[in-house]
Amino acid sequence: MDRSFGKSGRRFLLWIDAVGGFWVCLDDTVVLGQPDPAAKVDIPILGDLSTQHARIRRDAEGYMIEGLRETRVNGRRAEPWALLGHGATIALGETVRLLFRRPLVLSATARLDFLSRHRTQPSSDAVLLMAEACVLGPRPTSHVVCRDWPCEVVLYRHEGELFCRVANVGNSPGEPPGLPTEAVFEIDGQKHRQRGQIHPNAHVVGEGFSLCLEEI
Amino acid sequence: MKPLVTPVDNQDSVAVDFRPADADSPRDLPAPARFVYPSGSQPLLGYTIKRGVGHGGFGEVYFAVSEAGKEVALKLIRRNLDVELRGMRHCLNLKHPNLLTIYDIRRDERDDTWVIMEYVSGHRLDEVIAAHPQGMPPDQVLAWFFGIASGVAYLHDHGIVHRDLKPGNIFCDEGIVKLGDYGLAKFISCSRRSGQTESVGTVHYMAPEIANGRYGKEIDIYALGVILYEMLTGRVPFEGESVGEVLMKHLTAEPDLSALNEPFRGIVARALEKDPAKRFQSVTEMLAELPRPARCEVFAGPLPVSGHDRELISAGKAGETGLPQAAAAAPAVEQEPIFMAVRALFRRACDTWRRSPFSLPTKIALLVVGAGVLLMTSNAWLSVLIFLVMLYAAYWVVRAILTAVLPRSSHGVGTLPPTAGLEAESRGQQAIASSLASTRGWPAKAPPSARTKPPERVGPRFPEGENEVLVLGPLRERWTQWVGSLVAGSLATLTMALVMLVLNGFRDAAAEPELWSLAWWSRYAWLVVVSLSCTWAVLTVSKFWEAGPGDAMLRRFLLMVVGLGLGLVAFGATTYFGVALNHDPRFVQLLRIRPHQNLLPTDGWVSAKYYLAAFATLFFIVRWWRLADPARPARMSLWPIIVCVFVAAVTADLWGFPQPWLPMVACAASVAVQLASPWIHPRDRRWQKV
Repeated sequence: MDRSFGKSGRRFLLWIDAVGGFWVCLDDTVVLGQPDPAAKVDIPILGDLSTQHARIRRDAEGYMIEGLRETRVNGRRAEPWALLGHGATIALGETVRLLFRRPLVLSATARLDFLSRHRTQPSSDAVLLMAEACVLGPRPTSHVVCRDWPCEVVLYRHEGELFCRVANVGNSPGEPPGLPTEAVFEIDGQKHRQRGQIHPNAHVVGEGFSLCLEEI
Repeated sequence: MKPLVTPVDNQDSVAVDFRPADADSPRDLPAPARFVYPSGSQPLLGYTIKRGVGHGGFGEVYFAVSEAGKEVALKLIRRNLDVELRGMRHCLNLKHPNLLTIYDIRRDERDDTWVIMEYVSGHRLDEVIAAHPQGMPPDQVLAWFFGIASGVAYLHDHGIVHRDLKPGNIFCDEGIVKLGDYGLAKFISCSRRSGQTESVGTVHYMAPEIANGRYGKEIDIYALGVILYEMLTGRVPFEGESVGEVLMKHLTAEPDLSALNEPFRGIVARALEKDPAKRFQSVTEMLAELPRPARCEVFAGPLPVSGHDRELISAGKAGETGLPQAAAAAPAVEQEPIFMAVRALFRRACDTWRRSPFSLPTKIALLVVGAGVLLMTSNAWLSVLIFLVMLYAAYWVVRAILTAVLPRSSHGVGTLPPTAGLEAESRGQQAIASSLASTRGWPAKAPPSARTKPPERVGPRFPEGENEVLVLGPLRERWTQWVGSLVAGSLATLTMALVMLVLNGFRDAAAEPELWSLAWWSRYAWLVVVSLSCTWAVLTVSKFWEAGPGDAMLRRFLLMVVGLGLGLVAFGATTYFGVALNHDPRFVQLLRIRPHQNLLPTDGWVSAKYYLAAFATLFFIVRWWRLADPARPARMSLWPIIVCVFVAAVTADLWGFPQPWLPMVACAASVAVQLASPWIHPRDRRWQKV
């Protein structure tokens, strides 16, 4: 088993206990479409779509979507392309509706939520288009809001590898977030302090949280 | 990989199941307990665990996938919990759309029991309630409640009391409400009675008679009342610091129902009666008192985590599917009943006509014959119609004055206040935002850039009264549009004037100047100049008004001033081109107030008053800007043209302006304005709050 995030297949499922399952894409360009093992679809959506329905690109400026088939952004046609801003509604085909968000302004990571009754295949609760880092934590501006967590987990990229950093945040309501304190956590049973490298099937457990990566 | 099953102490499962009354401070919660089985493990043959979902009253719940890919929820019932599973068997085969399906119950190698259930991907009701701290919108409450109650009614019908109804047991899956933990709950209640602290999470929904060990279906009715109250207000009726305090309130305190509107107040009051005999005797009886929900589906989209996201979601959702919230937001515009009735009659007639079995040629023939008959008998009925219209106009004016003077009648008791939910929701947003800001100290981060912009809505025009304006292009683009529309308007006017004059020539060639003669050309020039001025004037003025609603009376007044100017233009054109505006006597005068004049170029200033009066009236009565509104229903519709021509005919009669000049101008202008002014397709329209 290849235990690193190479150039290809740069996506994984992020299973967060008591929170949800997330479809994480690391590539700057992802294709959305009907699931088809033959076609390269980064985000397969079980919907009335073509196998290559639309392409979302990320660059230094932000995100744009290239509609290869019927695609609309905020009701306007997105063929050949349209810009994606925080809060944009993407309509793919007749029925698939996605909400595009960038919860954390400082991060280029974006999140796609399903407004319609569709899911990815295999199913997940939302799609994360991960740029440099992805924040999981109790704050409302986290990419994945984990309401009851006492800490914040940041997945980040460094030299082509994926790392994980855990920081405690202000625990009591009156206390400002302030400077996060370091936390101890385990990756596949091995203790780590502050940060550690994770592989495509890592199991990360810490005080009050646990999550798992799964290759797609 | 088979991890060892480590005993989880009771404290954990208690704590996780407990949802504090004050949902604003979830951070007071202890950290969630670990799950025994990590992702990827296979404690039960054939199922791979993907993640832990939560902790139920008696064990952990996992999301797992079978070998073939079927998604299920696995509920682990620990062997250290003394549970009698035999009684659950008859719940295994219950079938109802609002019940979470149980597929099977299995034992693993460790002798742990697993319940294999349907997996629901949607929200739990307690999450939805937590996202609406000031109460959920009433139509959502109804949609949820009807789903819950249908499931409970089915259980009661099969002799099963749920016993553990609470928002933490209620889910939504693709818009359908699903009730969980039925059948299992019985045994939880047993352990509750035996004094275990597990009951702490559900004590808010516990009927008073449970203290005496009574478990009739009335306890489900009581719990339904609590849930209804909680969905409407965001709080449970009885709150307390400790289990004992809450239980004591269930036994003695009266719920505060002042926050509820009818009919909810009465229903909750009756469901929360201390004496089970005074409560509703069945769920069906309870449902009968509630208004039916507009939609049976509950909102299944992502839940807001902050007020900002809620705006985004509701805006996006409203644009796509027309959320009932948007419909509820539209204030009931007071419509005039007679007009409504006539309009409804007209629409029904149109509908019948469209569905009639006649073929198209037959229909056309019928129309032609009908029009001929109407024209021939016009002397008889037209005056009656005019009289009725004038009577109605007088009535309308009186009514308008009265409704403006008299205060508006409030909504009757028993109806749902349409905007209360929305107001509550917006208050909820503020509450969430401020509580987040205060508890987390989080506002230091710059807000997302989109927040500075009011949310935009996509779709056709909302009913008037919404403070929303159409999102238009930049000024430069509008300027170019305007110039383009002037050019298009001139072309349309030239064509329309030509068509009308040629057609007029066919009516009676003898009375009209010969086609292409000098006199004909001067008439054509007059018609073109006057119609063109009208078109350009309307296009220009409407350009300033196109974005949104404005005071119609003010606009009419301004248009009347414009009309005076256009009257002068018409007067000037008559003199300049030397056209004799002769009255065509074949046009029957409907209002015999003053005789029709023949306006000759030699009349001089004496005749100017006719022009001024006619054009000012025409522009005062017709709401011309609506013809140029980019959000008009269709680019070109026939109805406004008919109205314009009719108003012009009546105006000309009123002032003795020679026929058919004014209707011709109105016709050309109304066609040209509609053709030339920009129009945005309804699906591309975007609205912005002001």
